[in-house]
Amino acid sequence: MSLSPIDRRGFLKGALGIGALAATGGALTACAPGTGPGAQPSRLAKPTVSASSAKGEITIWNRSGDLFKVFDAAIAKFREAYPGVTVNHQAVDIDAKLANTLISGTDVPDGSFWDDAKIGGQAEHLFDLTDLIAPYRDQTSPYKLSVNTVEGRIYGVPWDLDPGLLWYREDVLEQAGVDPAGLATYDDLLAAARTIKEKDPKTRPIHLEKTPFLGQLWLEMLANQQGTSLADARGELRLDSPEYRRIFGWIQDAVKDGLVTHAPYLEPADVNTLDSGQQVFVPWAIWWSFAPQQLLKATTGKWRAAPLPAWTPGGARSGAMGGSSFVIPAKAKNPELAWLLYEFLCFKEPGYTAVYGPNDVYPGGLSTSIPSYQPALDPAKPLFQPIEALGGQDLWKVAVDAAATIPAAAPIPWWWAQSVDYLGDNLQRLMDGTMSPDQVIADSSEKIQRNLIDRS
Amino acid sequence: MRSVRLSPYLFIAPFLLVFAAFGVYPLIYALQLSFMRWRGAGAARWVGLDNYLYLLTSPEFWASLGNSAVMWLLIVPIQIVAGLGGAVLLANAKLKLRGLFRVAFIAPFVTPLVAMAQVWIVVFDQDYGLINYALNLVGLPDVGWLTSTVWSKPTLALLFLWKTTGFAIIILLAGLQAVPGAVYEAAALDGASRWRQFWSITVPLVRRSMAFLVVVQTLAVFQMFAEPYVVTEGGPYGSTTTAGLYLYEHITASDLGTGAANSFLLVLLVFGLSLVSVRLLRPKDEVS
Repeated sequence: MSLSPIDRRGFLKGALGIGALAATGGALTACAPGTGPGAQPSRLAKPTVSASSAKGEITIWNRSGDLFKVFDAAIAKFREAYPGVTVNHQAVDIDAKLANTLISGTDVPDGSFWDDAKIGGQAEHLFDLTDLIAPYRDQTSPYKLSVNTVEGRIYGVPWDLDPGLLWYREDVLEQAGVDPAGLATYDDLLAAARTIKEKDPKTRPIHLEKTPFLGQLWLEMLANQQGTSLADARGELRLDSPEYRRIFGWIQDAVKDGLVTHAPYLEPADVNTLDSGQQVFVPWAIWWSFAPQQLLKATTGKWRAAPLPAWTPGGARSGAMGGSSFVIPAKAKNPELAWLLYEFLCFKEPGYTAVYGPNDVYPGGLSTSIPSYQPALDPAKPLFQPIEALGGQDLWKVAVDAAATIPAAAPIPWWWAQSVDYLGDNLQRLMDGTMSPDQVIADSSEKIQRNLIDRS
Repeated sequence: MRSVRLSPYLFIAPFLLVFAAFGVYPLIYALQLSFMRWRGAGAARWVGLDNYLYLLTSPEFWASLGNSAVMWLLIVPIQIVAGLGGAVLLANAKLKLRGLFRVAFIAPFVTPLVAMAQVWIVVFDQDYGLINYALNLVGLPDVGWLTSTVWSKPTLALLFLWKTTGFAIIILLAGLQAVPGAVYEAAALDGASRWRQFWSITVPLVRRSMAFLVVVQTLAVFQMFAEPYVVTEGGPYGSTTTAGLYLYEHITASDLGTGAANSFLLVLLVFGLSLVSVRLLRPKDEVS
């Protein structure tokens, strides 16, 4: 087959034309930001289908590990209630994949588990669930509602609540003559730590966290306890405040007096010093209950939980540390069905009971968090059982009582996770004794303002 | 009137289309994005040179370049020397078990990086790592290989060296094998020692391969991402936040415009460094 030749000028003109078209097309396509469906938040309306008529398949992302197995069993319960809905439940490295998937818009799941701290940063890619959550709003933890809120709209289905507790070695306190009931304020805690250290100079009784992300999460628990947080409702930084100064000053005192073990959360160095008796107090979220149950072989049964001390006499005895919710991406194929699943898990008794109650993975129930839906938090109707590794203590009651005191918070700003590079790092410097509270506040504030807030 | 035939263009059209779609278009798109503020959804805002100005005045941007520059100094010169040594060793026909050595040198290069990074984390753990255990045995104290700002970069550089020096050996071995044996024979007849032959024959004649290696490894070091991402997450205190990782942080923060601007600044920098490397390592005959 022979093709007719075209003249060079004609070819060049054609090529130029195609090039111009490509350039224009490229420019136009490159203008896609702002013209796509993500320009306005998508509001998800309540599904009109009944449980028996709901049909379809949804892909749900979850963390891997034991929690995945627990949710697998809970999803089986959901399918009993919604037999027409098939759930493709996938274990995914959510922290590594979800944000990128939301931005690229390809292979987006219908729903995903996600850290509360990260939801605000991706709200534009998520369904606005405000209308759907409205019927449950009054009965949901105010803290969880606030951290899922961006500009007055709710973007996550509030899942677990993680009250901060004071974990302590009951036997060591007894030997040192310290009454755990007397640990009412953080000054009391420092005094108790000094007493214990006097009895045994090898101890460095108070755990301080060595990883920047968890350290900052811990800091926010202590701030939340005082009713504040890194940013206010308008997203303005409030690190330079009496509340944060109080926390930083307390850390500095503890470090100066040699009262701290600065170790990364439950890594070998931490576990070793917890089991050896070097660490006696761990102010941490309820999820630390995992340690005496699974990791601390020598001291299991000797740990107990109490409410956190207060920052001021009569102040709140807990703050929230971390927590997760469920999000429904704006590009989900079956968002209504994903909502039905999450509504079942979070707000329906068979759903949250399937997760927190005794199950094949956790025969005594899941005790690393509690539901954020208040009807589930009946002290008289524990979802999980007393824990042998805590000497049979009723952790449910301690956690539910503490959770009731958690103050509401401001929404978590989109830049919170990025601010760890500044505040999280500087907090470590304070714990190392190489920065003062003033330096932490000044340096972190300047960097967060310049690199994150001003670039919003 | 001169004319061109259409058929050759039709033959290359599939490649051109794919290249335009996946090569040229993303490049133009990224360039445009570098002048905008966009978080991946919602309305984008034209900000002109703001992203570039922000980066060029940002201490964190320069710190990331500084980290990469230190990594380059720790990696590339050592790799060239070690690679050349390895290549000379493997080129020696008298070496026994040469095949085994070749496999041993190349094995790290084909081993998944993430798996090796996990090994690094365990071996260099401050409290329970094998290296500190060995140091303790001879009475030396623990070193924070991955937790101190002094040691984190050398430890990561060692991982990079371990992983990619096999590649350097292959490239330099190929260059070495292209050197005619007669040149060495003539030098030997003239009484040149082995050392003299190495400096006067081997090194000058593999300069082209060395230049190639320097350019490729400069690119790799300034794009280094997986090693710090997996092993240190850029810490401690940002001491291993390389240029590649810093760029990624903009993407995960949904600050796509700044990320794009950062990419173009890196391209310019790496292009400049590559030009300098090629010029410095150009064989003498080309210089003249």
